[in-house]
This record gives sequence, structure tokens and C-alpha cells, in this order.
Amino acid sequence: MDAIRTENLTKKYALGWRRGRLLALDKLNLHVHEGEVYGLLGPNGSGKSTTLKLILGLISMTSGEARVFDVPCEKVQSRLHVGFLPENPYFYKYLTGAETLEFYGRLCGMKGTHLNKRIDELLALVGLAHARDRRLAGYSKGMLQRIGLAQALIHDPKLLLLDEPTAGVDPIGSKDIRDLILRLKETGKTVLLSSHLLAQVQDVCDRIGVLNLGKMILEGRVDQLISDQRRVSITVQGLPETAREKVMETVRAAGGELVSIEHPQTTLEALFLEALNKDKRGAGEHD
Amino acid sequence: MTEPTQKNIAAAKPKKEWVGFSVRRVATIGENTFTEAVRQKVYNILIVFALVVIASASFFSEFTFSEQLKFIKDFCLGALSVFGTLIAIVGTAQLLPNEVENRTIYTILAKPVRRFEFLLGKYMGSVLLIFVSLVMMSIMFSAALAFKEHRLVSDASRTMGNTSRVEEKQELQQQIQQIRSEVLDPNLVKAVLLIFAKLALLAAITLLISTVSTSMIFNVTVAFMVLIMGHLVGTAREMWSSNTWAKWLLALIPDLGSFNVADNIVLGNAIPWMHVGAVVLYGLVYTACTVAAAHFVFSDREI
Repeated sequence: MDAIRTENLTKKYALGWRRGRLLALDKLNLHVHEGEVYGLLGPNGSGKSTTLKLILGLISMTSGEARVFDVPCEKVQSRLHVGFLPENPYFYKYLTGAETLEFYGRLCGMKGTHLNKRIDELLALVGLAHARDRRLAGYSKGMLQRIGLAQALIHDPKLLLLDEPTAGVDPIGSKDIRDLILRLKETGKTVLLSSHLLAQVQDVCDRIGVLNLGKMILEGRVDQLISDQRRVSITVQGLPETAREKVMETVRAAGGELVSIEHPQTTLEALFLEALNKDKRGAGEHD
Repeated sequence: MTEPTQKNIAAAKPKKEWVGFSVRRVATIGENTFTEAVRQKVYNILIVFALVVIASASFFSEFTFSEQLKFIKDFCLGALSVFGTLIAIVGTAQLLPNEVENRTIYTILAKPVRRFEFLLGKYMGSVLLIFVSLVMMSIMFSAALAFKEHRLVSDASRTMGNTSRVEEKQELQQQIQQIRSEVLDPNLVKAVLLIFAKLALLAAITLLISTVSTSMIFNVTVAFMVLIMGHLVGTAREMWSSNTWAKWLLALIPDLGSFNVADNIVLGNAIPWMHVGAVVLYGLVYTACTVAAAHFVFSDREI
């Protein structure tokens, strides 16, 4: 059974009197398998958020069908096993971190020591145990994103829908969120995330689908999509300059074409994280 | 390996899950709505009410005791209604627009929560806010009356101690009894009950308006227009009693004037419980219909 299954899912928004309708999603056939991390990619206005809202039953579909664990999305039961993190979540500023989780837990039918234990677990999981009694008005953007993840996980859902989970978060926070997604995957959760930060999606997703103007234009496994089957890359270390010429000759002799010789580059993100790790000063020790 | 029997097949089917209406979820959303109002310091408005009450109890001591008590009752009941109306309309008008603007509505409706539960929870939170406000204002009102009673009775007792004439003493004794009976007027409880019923209806009307529009200013403006129309509709019905269309159209607007009994209290007229019961029932029916209409609009609204 697929965690999410849509068949010819179409959404048209009314633009107002005598202004017609805007086609936001065009016959989308999306199948997200249980236990996988699926990335929904696309530029702004491509239909990513519309897809998530349709799956959550927040808006009504124009035609087609959408199911979550085989339950039609229009039914409230379809959300029993779903956790959702909206893009740039705000939450209730007047509640503390623990109160926020208690509120969402109670909405999911949780109570008593079971709920309290779960709140402690999640605050520890997202690294907010120190801020449990602080009101959300005093949380940073990254902290809000993390409390958002915690509320999405409060009832231990089987499926997580994350709308731009790393948008506006610094590289460390972004990496934490990606690590958390991978940990959730290990525990058997299914994750559907939308993003336009392609490099970050590449690290965590098993499969991706690219939406443009409401249509799915590309879909497949990340490793297959990004690997260039025509080229081979060999990375060596400690090769003397003299030996390089021999390698080039061997390649030519075997009929291969040498495209380039270069020093492999690291990513800016890896460089940034490495620099921070080397800086052993604790918080509060800066100028 | 055994062949699967009908019973086994049935047992192998995944359990059908059902999410019914939950009072607990409604209470959770209602409690959160109330907490929001309290922590956003909505109750600061009651400080202004307290000043109004203190002013009404402190001035006009040159009038007779009966006039002074009538003034406090009239002034405080009026202020109670005005401040309650402000809390009911402004407090309710921002509920749905804020939820949509802050996207908190997404996180709630993404949980197994019915839209009706959300709407009803928001409304109940607003009604709780109105109820607590009225209770607090009523306590301040009662304190003002008790303070006035204490002063008037003390004055009368002092005068009684200074006089030796038996007739005057009897007259003052009667005056003290009258002060006490006017202060412990059961009609005041009825008046506050009717104000509560009116404010609960006003909150429901404001909620209905906010299911259509996302602008708080629009919601507040339209709600105040309905409030004015509701106070004029009684006169309008009398004027156009012969016009069938006008009669039907005017029937849609609740007669808010019927909830007002302050004039009767000031005049000293009795307000029968039957009348109070009938008006509260009228308010309840109107409120239920308005909340049902709000649900009808909200259930199909795209968020």
C-alpha cells in the first residue's frame, strides 16, 4: 500500500468574477511508497504547496483522487497518521514550547503521563529541552522550525509532510533537520518534503519529482537521475606529477577521452561546518 | 497451509478507523482561544470599566438615595453592555483572520480535527472570554453597589442616632430597608443574564462574518452594523408590519433590543422570569442557527 497515492489530481483556483480559473495542478499522478523519503521539487508557483494542501484536505480538488494510506483525503481519518510542518510556521507566540506540544498532543487525543513523556522526548529530539518553558515569541526562526517538527511528530505519525523544512534556517540547523529526516526514515517513517533547495534534497531523498506549472515533468530515483552514465570519475590521492602522464596515456590507449583533470572541490556547506567545528569557543565567548 | 476462511479474511482486513465529533478537541481549542485573549491582555479593558464603576459610585451624592442607586445601576449596566460588546465583537472578529494569517490553522486542521470542532472551539473560547468578563464586571458592579449601600446606610444610621423623634426614626428605618432591597435587586441578575445571551449571539454573528471575510476591519465594521440594525429592527418591524417582504427580511435580523431590560430596572418595573426565559431561548435559537450557518460557509472554504 502506498502512503500517498494521487490519480489525475487536478486543482483549478477561481480568480474572481469573470476572470476564469487558474490551473495550479494538472492531472498529478503521485505515488509515495511507505518508508521512503520523497522530494517534491519545483520553482515558486509550480504546485508544490497546492499538492500538500490537497493531500491534507485543506483545499478541495477540482477533479481526480488523492488517498493517504488508502483513505480518501477528504475524510478526517486520512489525517490520523499524518504530521505536517507548514512553510515558515508561526504557531502561537503566547505559548511556551512545552505548552505548544501539549496543545497539539491533546488535539490528537493524547493525555496524561503518556503525553508528558512524549513532550519531553520530542523536545530532547529537536534540541529544545532548554527552551521548554520559554514562550515562542522569544524563539529564533530555526527554533520555530524545530518546534514545528516536534508538533508534527507529537502523535508518532507514519507519514510526515514537510513544506520547505530548511527554508530560512542556517546551515547547522538545516543539517540537523536533514539528519533528523534520515533518522526518521530509519525508524520506518515516510516523508514527503517540498523544497527548492536542490542540494539539500539530494542528500536525504530516495526519489524526487519535479513539478513545473502544475505538471510533473521529471520523476525518479535520485542516484539514477544525477549519475552521468557516459562518464567515469576516478579520484586518487598522492599521485606524483610524473605518474599522471602515464595514467593519461593508458586512458588514451584504451580509447577513452580525457575530459578534465582537476582537484576535487568540497562544498561551501561542508567548509562552513568544518570551520565551525574547529572553532572550539562556546556560546557567549564571542566578542 | 489452511485455506483462508471468510472469518480469516475479515480478520486480515485493516481496522477501519473512525474520527467522530470530540468535545475534548473542542474544549482544547476553546481553552487555547481563551488563553490567547488572556495572555494578549484583552482584560486590560476591564481596568477602564473599573474606573467607570468607581466614577459612577463616587459622584452625584447630592441626589436622593433612590436616584443615586438608579444612576449606578443604569450607568453600570450600560457600561457592562458596551464593554461586553467590544470584547465580543473585537475578540471574535480577529479569531479566524489571525489563524489564517499566522498559518496556525494549517497545523490544526492537518491533525485529525473536524472543521466544525475547530469553529465551535473558537466560538466557545470567545463565549468563555465574554462570560469571565461579565462575571468580573458584575463583581465590580456589585462592589460599587455595596459601597454605595454602606455609605447610604451609614448616613441614615448617623442621622437616626442624632434624632429623638420617633416618626423620623421610623422613616429612616424604612429608608434603610428600601436601600437594602434596591441594592439586592434580583432584576440585576436577569439583566446580566440577558446581556450575556445578547453578547453570545453577537459573537456568533461576528464569527459568521469572519468565515466569509479575512479582513478584521471589515468583520468589526459589519458586526457593528448588525448591532445597530438589531437595535432598530423592533421599530422597523412595527413600521413595515403590513409589508410581507419587509417582514421576512427583517425576521433575519435578530431583535437585540429585546435583550435590554435596563430601562425597566431603572423604572422599578418587575421583569418576570418567563420573559427572561423566552428572550434567552430566542437568543439560543438564533445563536445555534448562526453557528450552523458559519459551519456551512466554513466547511467549504479553501484555506
